[in-house]
Amino acid sequence: MRPPTDVLAGPVGVDTSAPLARANPVAKLAVAALVAVALVLTTDLVTVTVALACVLLALPFTGVGARGLWRRGWIVVVAAVPAGVVTALLGVDSGATWWAWQVGGTTLLDVTAGSAAAGLAITTRVLAIGLPGVVLLATTDPTDLADALGQVLRLPHRFVLAALAGMRLFGVLAEEWTTLTQARRARGLGGGGRLSRLRTFGSQLFALLVLAVRRATVLSTAMEARGFGAVRERTWARQSRFTGRDWLVVVGGLGVAVVSTAAGVAAGTWRLVLLG
Amino acid sequence: MSTTHHQHTGTAPEGTESGRTARRPVPVAKVVAGLAAAVVSGAAVYAVGLPSGVEIFRTDLADLTLPAALLVTLVLGSVVGIASARAPWRVVDIVVASVLGVAGGLLFSVWNAVAYPLVSAAVVPPVSAWYVGVWLLPGVLGGLVIRKPGAAVYTELVAAALSALIGSSWGFSVVWYGLLQGLGAELVLALFLYRSFRLPVALLAGAGAGVVVGVLDSILYYPELVPVLQLAYVGLAVVSGVVIAGLGSWALTRALARTGALAPLRSGRDVERV
Repeated sequence: MRPPTDVLAGPVGVDTSAPLARANPVAKLAVAALVAVALVLTTDLVTVTVALACVLLALPFTGVGARGLWRRGWIVVVAAVPAGVVTALLGVDSGATWWAWQVGGTTLLDVTAGSAAAGLAITTRVLAIGLPGVVLLATTDPTDLADALGQVLRLPHRFVLAALAGMRLFGVLAEEWTTLTQARRARGLGGGGRLSRLRTFGSQLFALLVLAVRRATVLSTAMEARGFGAVRERTWARQSRFTGRDWLVVVGGLGVAVVSTAAGVAAGTWRLVLLG
Repeated sequence: MSTTHHQHTGTAPEGTESGRTARRPVPVAKVVAGLAAAVVSGAAVYAVGLPSGVEIFRTDLADLTLPAALLVTLVLGSVVGIASARAPWRVVDIVVASVLGVAGGLLFSVWNAVAYPLVSAAVVPPVSAWYVGVWLLPGVLGGLVIRKPGAAVYTELVAAALSALIGSSWGFSVVWYGLLQGLGAELVLALFLYRSFRLPVALLAGAGAGVVVGVLDSILYYPELVPVLQLAYVGLAVVSGVVIAGLGSWALTRALARTGALAPLRSGRDVERV
């Protein structure tokens, strides 16, 4: 088992000249946030369907092809469907009963018209919340994201760049893992039954963590030696600019949130999600 | 690190501070007052309750009392704690926290891709809350290892962001999750004024993060469940946070410190070398 290391490959198989792919990472982040906030508030079918429709309409302008979208986003679908099924089975019941599973006269699981509609809404909602994030990550290079976070959002640069450095260590750690495995095999470890394998796997994970922390302390010394973090204001090799076009993208995200919420309110189904 | 804070080894100097060598004592009275104010205002929101009869989009405000009270306490308490504890982060703190966050993101990705589908297929909520502690571990670990205000939030946030980058079933929403879960653990460490990192504190930090994830999941994923099941879900999430994140992080921190890898950090200072 090896960790996925192509995370830092940046946009692969994406048309980076597409209008939404070219937008500043912070603008894409804002869209994902706005859509998520609008849909966290409600679970009604009208709002979430309109939101998902808006997101799907924007897809052709992201430069992410259908295949790329599926490769990055299938996992969102995998999460969305079970959440809906669980809601249909265990949700608050109303209307006609379509299916029920009874043991000794008590109903354990049942699907009613009400709970089925709720389940469908939940699935749609997870999709609509997840897709903007999939697009953001499929079209953005991590380095650009760090630049944008530091320069546009003005997050503390020491933290942003250290996080980026930590991510760069990620690829190295995957190689370390292979080296560790080989070293252990050479010393006769890692064979045996399933249980002893699990134990060696655990201790190897811990060894990797120790290695990572040691690397981090060495890296921090090297960074400080080059003056990292010594000044409050730093200069940037790559300029990240937030232009009028990026504002348009943000307005678009706001539009999705407003239009879907308005549709839900107009249909009379919009209802703030509650505890209970 | 304050001069009023004595560890077993005496007040060893904090390595090389980058630039600013701020060594002001922690204003204990102010911090306690601020944290108390946060908890009291949260409790007050709950006790008074939001006005009933006022409707936002046909929702009675009174029904939002509990989430509002939790949010007020969480945000106010963490902000007060982080702002007042005045322990400047050195570069080594930041980089080690980042790397722990990356390791956490790795854990999340493997867990999300391999283990989670297997366990989630077998159980349904509220029972499914028993493994949420896995998603709380990096935050508590970061808080215990770095021992600086904001460490728990930062580590958990990096882990969540990385797992989103790699691709998770929940898309980008995990980043907001990470932020709030980190705040849950952070608030507990702040309540102890970033002075104690013993086992009970670690367990409580896991519990704090567990409350957050339990409430969040109930609101976002299972809003249509009956209230009894939702309460059970939150309770189980707390237990999971205490055992997996609290106990797990505490044991990991001890084991890491024993290897000497944490020597440049505060958590590696008061460990007997073997």
